[in-house]
Amino acid sequence: MFFAQLKNELWKLFGKKRTYIGFGAFVLAQTVMLLMFKYTHWQREVERLLAGNGYLANEYISALTVSLVMVWPQILLLMPLYVALVGGDLVAKEAEDGTLRMILSRPISRLRLLQVKWLAGIIFAAVLVLVLGAIALGFARIYFPWKGMFVFGQTQPNVTFGIFTPEQGLTLYVVSTLFSIVNAVTLLSVAFMFSCYNMKPAAATILALSFLFSNMVIQHIPFFEPYQNWFITHHFESWFLVYQTPAPWAQILQSEITLAATCATAFIIGAIGFQLRDIKT
Amino acid sequence: MISLQNVRKRFGAIDAVQDLTLTVPRGEIFGLLGHNGAGKSTAIGMMLGQVWPTRGEVKVCGHDVTTQRARALARVGAIFETPAFYDYLSGRRNLEILCQYSAPTPPERIREVVDWVGLTGREQSAVKTYSHGMRARLAIAQALLPQPELLIFDEPGSGLDPEGIAEMRGTIIRLHRELGLTILLSSHLLSEVEQICTRIAVLNQGRKVFEGRIADVKAGPGRVMLRTPDFAAAAAQLRERGIITNSAEGKFITLSEGRTTADAAKVLVEANLPVDGLWQEEQTLENFYLSLVRGESPANDQ
Repeated sequence: MFFAQLKNELWKLFGKKRTYIGFGAFVLAQTVMLLMFKYTHWQREVERLLAGNGYLANEYISALTVSLVMVWPQILLLMPLYVALVGGDLVAKEAEDGTLRMILSRPISRLRLLQVKWLAGIIFAAVLVLVLGAIALGFARIYFPWKGMFVFGQTQPNVTFGIFTPEQGLTLYVVSTLFSIVNAVTLLSVAFMFSCYNMKPAAATILALSFLFSNMVIQHIPFFEPYQNWFITHHFESWFLVYQTPAPWAQILQSEITLAATCATAFIIGAIGFQLRDIKT
Repeated sequence: MISLQNVRKRFGAIDAVQDLTLTVPRGEIFGLLGHNGAGKSTAIGMMLGQVWPTRGEVKVCGHDVTTQRARALARVGAIFETPAFYDYLSGRRNLEILCQYSAPTPPERIREVVDWVGLTGREQSAVKTYSHGMRARLAIAQALLPQPELLIFDEPGSGLDPEGIAEMRGTIIRLHRELGLTILLSSHLLSEVEQICTRIAVLNQGRKVFEGRIADVKAGPGRVMLRTPDFAAAAAQLRERGIITNSAEGKFITLSEGRTTADAAKVLVEANLPVDGLWQEEQTLENFYLSLVRGESPANDQ
């Protein structure tokens, strides 16, 4: 029954048009970014940066380099927005529409219902990020050659400058995409937690995004630098740390465990609230 | 089938249901009546394990809903005021989804139920294309899927046109006759309840003020209508002589036990009070209900 119920939740989730807004927005945004990289001074600046460090720009302006450039802003901006939107909908939208009352007139336990909904949300988040990563790489490959990967970016407090062979680059790209799934699932879980309480779906989404942005803002206030580990956004950066040489695997593992614990905590808090509340029209 | 024992539900400072004891026997069509906010939906919510009682015990099919939810609701179907579905999916897909929350249901059972409610041929269409009546039929179909022994309708006639109400009435009677189901329904539509139900309970401000057979309600004495130029004087004279216990609305009197309209007429004539008319109205559910919620004492009150 568990898998049949999970299949139901996936039907409901992927049967809705609004579920695909995120996918559509990603395709659009990635196309724009790709064209901007190719036809503006952006590409020349990257070439200059490579040349300034003694590397041949021709060897590293590649599909892998460009796909990471395309993915980065979307992981920071669009991905949180869409997973929070879907996470906020998971329970609250059903309560708002009245279908939750129909479901809960049946002999399913509230905890089981939340489990299948949460799992469906996790599958959505994973599919969203994987599609995002695959589309970026696919689009970049159309316009750029398959060569070495160049990575440049900043995460507090380090600057990452990495040069990789195509094989190394592809492996790291896959690993970083997998870690991005954990980020997406974490934010989805926070939105899901709010969604379990008596509120509108939009309120659950806004609260989850507010939680994310308040973390981000406070994390970057110099006073809070010693307390980085307390901010979820600090742990979200671990997807990019894989490109450091050598990669700080212990720190990455710590962040991933923290994010997994955050997901579990959000689920438990949501489940308690959902278990205690009265479901009324 | 359903038993509520001293149930209370408090929302903040408000008692939605107070000390409610109710029994719905197997095989009945049981009507739960009451004004808006009387506690009908809250009581139904508690029967379905959607609302937690503050105090008391709620049993459905012999099992406590709060502690043995799966057993209690295994053979229960519910239909709500505004049937809500996943509009973007087909009727059949909705049924497949909803039945998975009860027990594995073979496709033949879904076909059988779709046929029973008369949706064959439209089950593959998206629910957003359904009329209000078709949605109501789909709601009945989803409730029938787990082969229930008990069906709970929360305001089933709300939002339906007269044709839809008549169809719903016919369906409820068919469910009872053909499938032998026990049915609990809450409604504002007294005429519908009068035609369908075998037993009723009346809630007023969260309290049960009546529970009994509808046949007994209708067999009971109706209100007595008194037409006279000076109703107040006539009512005072009748009360003084112990003929009536109550008067209302400047035209109704309630006779004391053992007294008849002839006794009342005799007293009024002896007192030289003109009488234009004096007769017993037929007892209707509406009269009975109104007398209950207005605080008059109906003869059948238990």
